[in-house]
Amino acid sequence: MQILGPTELSHRILNGDLCTSCGACADLCPYLKSHGVKIANVFACDRETGRCYAACPKTGVDETLLSETLFALPWKDAPLGHYRRLYMAKQGPKTPKGNYQNGGTVSSLVIAALEQGVIDKAVLTGSDGIMPRPRMVTTAGQVLECATSKYIAAPTMARLNRAATEGDRNLGMVGTPCQMTGLASLRTNPLARSDFEDPMGMVIGIFCTWALSAQGLFSYLERQEIDPLAVRSMDIPPPPAENALIALEEEVKELPLDDIRKLVLPGCSVCPDMTALWTDLSVGALEENPEWNTLIVRTERGEALVDRAVETGLLEIQPISQTSVDNLTLAAANKRKRALAARERLGMLDPAFQKPVEVQPKQTIMGFK
Amino acid sequence: MSPLTRGNPGETHLMMGNEAIVRGALEAGISVAAGYPGTPSSEIIETLAKISDDIYTEWSVNEKVALEVAAAASFAGLRSLAVMKQPGVNVAADFLMHLALSGVRGGMVIVAADDPGALSSINEGETRLYAKLMEIPMLEPGNFQEAREMTCWAFELSETLNMPVLLRTVTRLSHASGRVTLGKLPIPDRKAFFRFDGDMLDPMEGPIMTPPVGIKHQSQQKKLQQAAKLFEESPFNTYEGPESPELLIITTSICDLYSKEVVALLGVKDRVGVLKLGTTWPLPAQPVLSRLATTRNVLFVEEVQPFIEEAVKVLAAGSQLDLSSLTFYGKYSRHIPMAGEMNPERVTAALSTILRLESGPVSPVSKNYPGTSLPPIPPREISFCPGCPHRASFFSINTVLQLDNRQGFTCGDIGCYSMGMLPGGFFTLKTLHSMGSGSGLASGFGKLDKFGMDQPVVAVCGDSTFFHSAMPPLVNAIHNRSAFTLVILDNSGTAMTGFQPHPGLPVDTKGNQAPPIDIERVCRAMGATTRTCDPFDLKATQKQLLEFINGKEENQGGVKVLILKQACALSPKKRHTQSFEVAVDPDRCIGEACGCNRICTRVFACPGLIWDAENNRATINDVLCAGCGVCASVCPQNAIQRKEFP
Repeated sequence: MQILGPTELSHRILNGDLCTSCGACADLCPYLKSHGVKIANVFACDRETGRCYAACPKTGVDETLLSETLFALPWKDAPLGHYRRLYMAKQGPKTPKGNYQNGGTVSSLVIAALEQGVIDKAVLTGSDGIMPRPRMVTTAGQVLECATSKYIAAPTMARLNRAATEGDRNLGMVGTPCQMTGLASLRTNPLARSDFEDPMGMVIGIFCTWALSAQGLFSYLERQEIDPLAVRSMDIPPPPAENALIALEEEVKELPLDDIRKLVLPGCSVCPDMTALWTDLSVGALEENPEWNTLIVRTERGEALVDRAVETGLLEIQPISQTSVDNLTLAAANKRKRALAARERLGMLDPAFQKPVEVQPKQTIMGFK
Repeated sequence: MSPLTRGNPGETHLMMGNEAIVRGALEAGISVAAGYPGTPSSEIIETLAKISDDIYTEWSVNEKVALEVAAAASFAGLRSLAVMKQPGVNVAADFLMHLALSGVRGGMVIVAADDPGALSSINEGETRLYAKLMEIPMLEPGNFQEAREMTCWAFELSETLNMPVLLRTVTRLSHASGRVTLGKLPIPDRKAFFRFDGDMLDPMEGPIMTPPVGIKHQSQQKKLQQAAKLFEESPFNTYEGPESPELLIITTSICDLYSKEVVALLGVKDRVGVLKLGTTWPLPAQPVLSRLATTRNVLFVEEVQPFIEEAVKVLAAGSQLDLSSLTFYGKYSRHIPMAGEMNPERVTAALSTILRLESGPVSPVSKNYPGTSLPPIPPREISFCPGCPHRASFFSINTVLQLDNRQGFTCGDIGCYSMGMLPGGFFTLKTLHSMGSGSGLASGFGKLDKFGMDQPVVAVCGDSTFFHSAMPPLVNAIHNRSAFTLVILDNSGTAMTGFQPHPGLPVDTKGNQAPPIDIERVCRAMGATTRTCDPFDLKATQKQLLEFINGKEENQGGVKVLILKQACALSPKKRHTQSFEVAVDPDRCIGEACGCNRICTRVFACPGLIWDAENNRATINDVLCAGCGVCASVCPQNAIQRKEFP
């Protein structure tokens, strides 16, 4: 796959409304930066190739390369990707109590990784009300502060890029499939930099079907006469619930999910990945039991972490039912199918989408270009 | 002792046009001179302040006030001079309209310096039309000697007519130098006293005001007729050429030199005559009509507006001349361009076409002075000096507006920082007009949220511009609850025109102690939320600006003022000093690789940084580097390192 540069990224993805704010392209250089939940192009960069383009999960994903680099295995087009084990999992008796979305598996794994010294620090997504905030954490207490789902897309990868640029190694990260795809692409050292080192000690993905646009959600809440900054938290209960719960200081408001779904980022429609394929471990809800999670173990080091977390009482695992696996596989396959259809509809499968953009430089004042 | 103040009449010295004007004013015995700095006029007040202790000189807060200060001296019977560049005349125009009607007492001359070709301006404004509009006489020196003589005579004329007199100069006269023979310097003996208890209509002893308008306007017209009569005899209107020329050039100002040079170079002295007018308004009818009667072809050579062209055509239309036998060439016939400054090439082109010269348009310079054609100069972008605080300020403003990502924009204003519109300023400025208008526009933009506009609005202005004309729009914005951020680029002086002091500094025009006016306290007193940052501290500046623009501070919305305070790198107090020793660690520099793409030399582009293409690394130009150390904060690789000088 040809790696192009910031011009194509800006033109096709950022300006083309395909960006899901994962942050993979940002804070690698002085040009593309994340601020709040947005990606900004601060100054023009005229490079024909860039890590920004390579990192973007929307410009195209070289699944063969990712598979060979991360798993040393050829890519097989399976809905759940490569995995070694599938479990149902939840927090162990030693896991501190927290506000977990489901079984608390992710927090337990991160705490275990930090405690075991598998990683020194972890990049997670905390929140400020409903606004997600990427964070660097080092303690169990900080991990708990980041627990529970965020519904607004966040440029968590930018925080990781900054840490990696600053020389941090042995990092952990928890992220959504788009973030994890971006991270995986960067871990292939796409521009073959001689000083490249893989900074990751443990990569934990979380299942995702979509994320909301911050701007869209804020305007929608304002239209419902809810001050977005006064929202304490937001929750979308598992089906068959039809409402999102918006917790304010004194009350909890219910808003129809049909309305909320309209605020999903357009870029999410082209995402083929539900279970975060390019990770050590991937975690999601377990449909039949909200007290538990689904845990996909993809790598050897992921497996080792799970084993040690269980040994140290930070995690509980059980075999997962075939029905659950089948349902998950079907859901993942469907997401992939929908995404490919959307990509085709948007012309993203056209070979021209992978060709350089010819942009006429703007004639500026005094005739400078 | 400066030749300007030497009392040796008859001596000849090489003088700049502006110095010749100064000498003329000294010979006229002026007591007061006021102005606002602006190229190409600045040297006049500057020189007067330097060389004479007998004269009160003042850098006023703006041109209107300068005109008022000078008028007060005239009202008190003294001779006074008001100096400004052309856009300053626009600022002073309101008072000038009334002053022209009320009349003056002591001789009062307004020197307006036009900048055809906009060499140091952002417009090509034309002062001559003001003479017509304001109904006051105007003189236009055509050379250095005339600059001295006309200035001196203008005071006499002003006193004869009790009217302010406009003296119009242009960049190529003000800033070029030529031989000037000195006249006599008087011994100043005027005492200031304002008489006001005479008859209402007594120009010398009554109150000075415009009413009763009908009577005053009639009297103004009479004075103009008197001026026209005096101009008929003026030695400043000259003719050179055959008695009945095939082509008559009518010209004024510095264009006289271009015209005569080209006539000589093309060898058409026997075919072409040059009528040079020095007293251009009101037009002296007789010298013009008598010359028109001797030719069939007329070419007007003048800069910017077809001012003489129109006046002569109007005059001819009302005369007994047979117009059917006259052909007029000039701006209306497109033989002379409507825009840009004149030069010998342009006059050559016009003459060659009209006279059907076989050689066609040629450059007189390269034709007649072989060996003078030089290879073209490599193109170079206009940019900020090494160590200029504006580069750092615009880097931060641009970064913050892009990070904010709501398509915020910056309204520009007048100063070195106007270059913020160029690549050297990262194209940050999106509007650029007159002094203070950045804040006025921002005040207007800041009210458009009602119509769905949610772009953040930033305005910039310099410290001198703040006092000149940004304060009223700021008051307007605060009172009307507009919302924008004003960034005051305070570099501690009127830097662009040569560090003239302004009211924010503790010194006056002559360098004596003066009470400074604190910009931040003024803004706070008006009701703005204010902060001051050092623009060289990119991180702190950007953080503060983001807070202001995101409106998360107290007083959400509203007007915020961020003062970015750092002295100009060329200011007398900073020049030749360096805060840091800056060096590039070649091992860390990644050059054009991804992750940097040489942001230091390609984007930040301080002239103190060099791109070493051979080694694909940045280096420091030790000669140019001003040691501000900002590039060290710009480098993402920490390859540029700064070490504080002990």
